[in-house]
Amino acid sequence: MPGLQGCQTVLSVTLQEQLRTAGALTPSLSRRRIFTGGLALGGSAVLGADHLIEPGAAQAPSGAARLSAPRPRLFLPTVQEDQISAIKVCLRPFRAQGPRYDVEKIGHKTVFHHYGHGGSGWSLSWGSADYVIGRVAATLTKRVAVIGCGIIGLTTALTAQRAGMAVTIYTRDLLPRTRSVRANGSWTPDSRIALTSAGPAFADLWERMARVSWASYRQYLGLPGLPIDFVETYALSDEPFDTPKAEPPPPPTLDFARYGTRIHDIIPASVPVAPQDNPFPVAHAKRISKMIFNFGAYGDHLLAEFHQAGGKIVMRDFHAPSDLHTVAEGTIINCPGFAAREWWKDDSLIPVRGQTNWLPPCPEARYGVAYRGAVMLSKSDGIMIQGYDLDGIGEAAGYNSGFEHPDRREANRAVGIFTDLFRRTGA
Amino acid sequence: MSRRRLRQGIAIALAGIPAIAFARAPSYTTAQADAGAARYTQACALCHGPDLAGSFETPALTGRFVQHWAGVPLSALAAYIQRAMPLTAPGTLSRTDVIALTAFLLRANGAPPGHAALPATPHGLDHLIFPVSEAR
Repeated sequence: MPGLQGCQTVLSVTLQEQLRTAGALTPSLSRRRIFTGGLALGGSAVLGADHLIEPGAAQAPSGAARLSAPRPRLFLPTVQEDQISAIKVCLRPFRAQGPRYDVEKIGHKTVFHHYGHGGSGWSLSWGSADYVIGRVAATLTKRVAVIGCGIIGLTTALTAQRAGMAVTIYTRDLLPRTRSVRANGSWTPDSRIALTSAGPAFADLWERMARVSWASYRQYLGLPGLPIDFVETYALSDEPFDTPKAEPPPPPTLDFARYGTRIHDIIPASVPVAPQDNPFPVAHAKRISKMIFNFGAYGDHLLAEFHQAGGKIVMRDFHAPSDLHTVAEGTIINCPGFAAREWWKDDSLIPVRGQTNWLPPCPEARYGVAYRGAVMLSKSDGIMIQGYDLDGIGEAAGYNSGFEHPDRREANRAVGIFTDLFRRTGA
Repeated sequence: MSRRRLRQGIAIALAGIPAIAFARAPSYTTAQADAGAARYTQACALCHGPDLAGSFETPALTGRFVQHWAGVPLSALAAYIQRAMPLTAPGTLSRTDVIALTAFLLRANGAPPGHAALPATPHGLDHLIFPVSEAR
């Protein structure tokens, strides 16, 4: 069947029983045909199952119970280490005090700094750009240079264009080759964004940026190629979710700021999954709708918009701030990401290594799973698997590691978690 | 360019900016801005936010706000506030409130206070313009 190569599928016994109970499984609708029909629904197969069991679900006593409606059928992609097609390593540009936003004069040039977003660059990009461009706009500048074409540089350039400015991006790499595209591609607005010592003023700014970004991303939902999408993600645990860690994190303790509760009113909450509704053989499960970014489609949208608005891109590298005198524009927005450490000699940037491992896309399995310190997200641009905390040390994982090369052993560990999980699930 | 055409150009330029030709930077007092801050909290912060940052739907009163109002006589800004704000009850702010809010907006966008108060007379703001912000 087209599009099915590489995917194993499971039609659970539970679903068949529910369908029979609901009267949906008639003698003329064979087991084989339900199986096929589910496949034809592709990414919507889960919703299709909901519709099929509607009579049974209607007996649920309350709206809350409906939220936990069973989703017993999941397609299980072939997740094993011999399917890995790419391993990407990013160095999150972390600053203890949060991103750098100050203004510097270099000769006759005015430089607005805009970098150091840790593991939250994609998520905060639009809001952070809005904050910077507002301040640039207040100077009545008509032409700006943007240095860097990662996700921060590109959204900054677009926001400047939307504010009526003529923009030239100066960059040594375009989006497909920037560090930004080595991220995991999901909404993580307070991942290693700052330490708590950044203070309440930054917390307020973070909230403002997160809200603007969230609203901005929503404008891209449903566009061709699904540049931005939501996937249902299961969080699984062998122990209750509130079980305290057996051992405290090793020193030095990094007190990373967490701001997520400030925007709980707009972010879909996790929903407990009852044992009988849990598709996985794991004791505890929650489900959440998670916003994801499909790099290819989204990058195309952003670059197309930039060029359509008359934006120019100049391929060049900078080696020292004094190089800026060769730039024609008087106002420069500096968005180099982690490269600021070398080109601006900014030692406040600390690398936090993160590795993502990519398997071929599997449209029939469009969901996510987080389990034992690893996460799998099935997206249109591939199945992303990341061991975000394989050793149970929390956000300190990868801290101050500038090792920007693939670690095959780490990849195999992360992928192996889902190889084992799916083998047990399909057994 | 001939002298005749140069004179014509100067005349056209002057004719096009009668109000701005004598424009100057505004002065306001700290007391006015403080009063404006208090009024802002009551009448404006619900929509524009406590930090004037607005939201995705509501305009900020810093940043691009300056882009929209810089170089414009303060009388136009005051008239707009008086006529259109707050959106839920336009026209309900007193003249004193509007002058205080104008002073507050000047301070919030980097204009320093001075010794002279912002005039409250109807045409007292005609020759005062909203200033451009420094890069910050």
